[in-house]
Amino acid sequence: MESRGGRLTWFRPSPVAVTLLVVGAVFTLLTPTFLTLYNLLNVCTSASVVAIVGLGMTLTIASGNFDLSVGSTAAFAGCITMSVVPQIGVMPAIALGIATGALVGWVNGLIVTELRVPAFIATLGMLTIVRGAALIYTRGRDIYLFGKTDYKILSSGVMPALLALAIALFFGFLLKHTRFGRHILATGSNLASARRVGVRTTYVLWSVFAIVGATAALSGLILSAQVLTGNGRLATGLELSAIAVVVLGGTPLTGGQASIPGTLFGSLLVAVINNGLNLLNVSVFYQNVTLGLLLLGALSLTTGWTSKLGDVTDRGARVLAPRKCK
Amino acid sequence: MPESSVPSLLEVRNLTRRFPGVVALDDVNFDVVRGEVHALVGENGAGKSTLINILAGVLQPSEGRILIDGVPLVFSDPLGSQRCGISVIFQEFSLLPHLSVAENVFVTREPRRGPLIDWETMNRNTAEILHTLNLDIEPSTLVSKLSISQQQLVEISRALSTKARVIIMDEPTAALNEREVVRLLEIVRSLASSGVAVIYVSHRLAEVFSVADRVTVFRDGRHISTSPRNAVTEQQVVAAMVGRNLAHLERPVRTPGEVILEAREVTVDAGAVRNVSFSLRRGEVLGLAGLMGSGCSELMEGLFGLRKITSGTVTLDGEPLQANHPRAAIRAGIGFVPEDRKTNGLFSDLAVTENLTIGALPRWLKSVPAFLDPARERQVTLVYKRQLNIRFSRPEQRVSGLSGGNQQKIILGRALAENCRVLLLEEPTRGVDVGAKAEIYTLIDGLVAKGIAILLQTSELPELIRLADRCIVFVAGEARAELSGNEVTQEAVMEVATGLSHRVAIRDQALEVANGE
Repeated sequence: MESRGGRLTWFRPSPVAVTLLVVGAVFTLLTPTFLTLYNLLNVCTSASVVAIVGLGMTLTIASGNFDLSVGSTAAFAGCITMSVVPQIGVMPAIALGIATGALVGWVNGLIVTELRVPAFIATLGMLTIVRGAALIYTRGRDIYLFGKTDYKILSSGVMPALLALAIALFFGFLLKHTRFGRHILATGSNLASARRVGVRTTYVLWSVFAIVGATAALSGLILSAQVLTGNGRLATGLELSAIAVVVLGGTPLTGGQASIPGTLFGSLLVAVINNGLNLLNVSVFYQNVTLGLLLLGALSLTTGWTSKLGDVTDRGARVLAPRKCK
Repeated sequence: MPESSVPSLLEVRNLTRRFPGVVALDDVNFDVVRGEVHALVGENGAGKSTLINILAGVLQPSEGRILIDGVPLVFSDPLGSQRCGISVIFQEFSLLPHLSVAENVFVTREPRRGPLIDWETMNRNTAEILHTLNLDIEPSTLVSKLSISQQQLVEISRALSTKARVIIMDEPTAALNEREVVRLLEIVRSLASSGVAVIYVSHRLAEVFSVADRVTVFRDGRHISTSPRNAVTEQQVVAAMVGRNLAHLERPVRTPGEVILEAREVTVDAGAVRNVSFSLRRGEVLGLAGLMGSGCSELMEGLFGLRKITSGTVTLDGEPLQANHPRAAIRAGIGFVPEDRKTNGLFSDLAVTENLTIGALPRWLKSVPAFLDPARERQVTLVYKRQLNIRFSRPEQRVSGLSGGNQQKIILGRALAENCRVLLLEEPTRGVDVGAKAEIYTLIDGLVAKGIAILLQTSELPELIRLADRCIVFVAGEARAELSGNEVTQEAVMEVATGLSHRVAIRDQALEVANGE
C-alpha cells in the first residue's frame, strides 16, 4: 500500500487531503462565491496563520511534547513588535518579535527539561503567564500603528501562504535530511533510548520549543499585521486549532512521527470549513458545532484509515497473525 | 495423543486458525490432564500465542474443536472461557496498578453486601489465597508497590479465585530473577498436585525440563511432537523447535589480548556499586553475575555515563574515561545493548535503517555534519543485515513489526556501527527465541574473536557459562567473588550470589588481577 520505495510520511493516500477535496466540492456546489480567486486567497491567508504555528507544533508533537502557550506567545510577540516598529523600523521589529517567541519557547523547554514538569502542564502555566505579560505590557489597551503600512506586507496578498510554504519545505527538509530532524523523531519515539544512543535530548527539546515559539510569534505578527493593531487578547485559542490541524494531518500525538504536508492540508481543511460556513451564513453558534463535528468525523476517519494502512504496511504477511493475536 | 487411561481435562482437536495470507495454527491436537504440567514450546510464530488466545476466548478457531471433560465447547469471548474454568496469565500482566491486591484478585467478581462491596470478605478471601501461595503481603497493598514476581503471584491468585481448572502461563519467568524463578516453579508444581492442569509456555528449556510432565513442540503452526519429559533430551526438543540441529553449546577457546578497560575501586551513585575493581582484555568476555539489585546493571550504567561514578577511576586503553553522558561513552568506544530493548533501545516509530545508524551519525562527519547521508545509511544497513543475519524485507520497514531476535540484532548492530571497542551486553537474549539465541551466541563469539571486549550481565546462568571467560559475582553492590574458566558453574555462581558462601575472598583477588596483569 506504500508507494514503492518512498517514505510513508511523505506520500501516502492522505485522508485529510481527500476530505479537503470533498468538503471543497460540497461548498462549491452550495455557494457560488466559494470558488473565486478572492475567496480562495482569504482561505489561504487564514489557513496560513494556523499552518505556520501548526508546523512548529508538528515538530513539537513529533518530539513527544505539546505547546499550549502558542496563542499567548503569538499575542505577546505581536504586541512587542507593534510597539517597537515606530522606533526601530519594520524588519528589526519583526526579528525582535520572532526572537521573543523563540525565547518564550526556550523557557518552556527549560521548564520541561530542567524542572521536569510535563510539557502539558509547563506550557499550560506559560499560557496564562505569557497572556498576562502581554496584557501588562499593553496595559490592556490596543497598540495602533498609524501610517506604518509597510508592516502590512506580512499579511498582504500571498505573503502568508508563501511563508507557510517556505517553512513547510524547511521543516520537511529538516526532518528528512538532517541529523537534527532524526534526533527530534528519535527523542519523540523513545526519550530513554535517544539518550542512550548519544542524542543530547535536552538540546533537542530546547530547540524544538524555541522553534514552535518562533512560529507562534510569526503567526501572531501576521494576525496583528492584518489589523495593524497589537492586542493582548489576540489569538486566544490558537493552541487548540494548531494542535487540531496537526492531528488532522495525521501526525500522532504519541510522538516519533510527523507529517508536514498533513499539517498544511489540515490547516486548509479547517479554514475551508470555517469559510464555507460563513459564506452559507450559518450562525456562528452553529458554526462552532458544525466545525467540531466535522473535526471529530475527519479525525475518526483519519485514525481508522491510518491504522488500517498500518496493518498492511507494518506487518508482512508472515508476522500478521501472531502480532494480531498478541 | 494422551494416554488413554487418564481422561483429558482440556483437549483441542484438529484446531486450525487462518489469518489472511497465513495459517497460524494448522490442524493441531493438544491436551492436558488433571494434575499435569504440560509445557508448550516453540519459536516465535510457532502458533503458541494463537492457541493460547483461542483457549482464552480472544480468538475464534477457523476449524476444529475444544473439549472440556470431553464436552465440545465454543468460547465466544474471554468471559466464556473463564466460566469454563480456563484462566490465562499473559506475559504482559493485566493488573490494575492503582488498586489493591484484593481488588485485583476479585475485580468484576467483588463479593457484595447489597449494592456495596463487602471489603471484609474480599480481603479475607484474598488473604486465604495468598496464604496458599506462601505470599506474605496484605490484601490491601497497592499492586504498584509490589515487585514483578509478587505481581505475577497476584495474577495467579486471581486465577485461583476463579476456581480455574486449567491455568495457562505465557512466558511466566520472563521478568523474574533466578531465585524468583525457583519459587514460581515450586508454585506451579504445587498447583498441579492440587489437581489443576497447567499449560506452561516458555522459551527457557531448563525450566521446562524441571517443571513439566509432558513437553509439546510447535513449529510453523504445526504440532511437531508431544513426549513425556523423561523420554526426550533438551537437544531433541531444540532440534524439533528449530527443525535442525544447533551446534552452540560450547564456549570456544579464546586467547585474550592486552587489557583495554580497567576499573579501580569504582563506586557508582555513592553506593549502588562499591569499590569494584576489574580489568577487561581485548577478545575476552567478562561476566557480571548477581541477583537483581546486586549492582551489575548499575556498574554498566555507570561506565556508560547513565549513572555517576562517584569515586574510583576507569581507564580505556590507558586513557582515563569520564563519561557523564552516553554520548561521551559512545565517542570513547563503548557500546551498550540494554536489557529492556523496548524501553531503552528501540525506536519503534522509526525504520530499520534509522534504528541501526542513529548512534553512528555523529561519527560520520562530512563537510557539513548536520546532513544525513542516505546512501551510506543504506549501505551500512545492508552490511549489518548480512553480517548479523537480520531478517527484514525493506530498510524502510518499521522495527515494531520485527521479531524479538531481529530487534535485538538491530540493537547489537547499532553498537557495532558506532565502532565500539568495548561492548556492554545486558541480558543479550531476553525475549529471543532459541534459534536466534544460538545465532546471537555465535555472533558474540565472532565479535570477541575480532578483538572486541565484552562485559556481559545476564541472569541466565547457562548463558553466562556459555559466553563468559571469567565472571565477577556481585552481592549487594560489592564484588564478592571472581571465577574464571571452569570455576564458572551454576552452583558456584549461585552459592556466592545468594550469600551462601564467602569461599572465595574476593575483593583482594580482583585487585590482584587488576594489579598483577
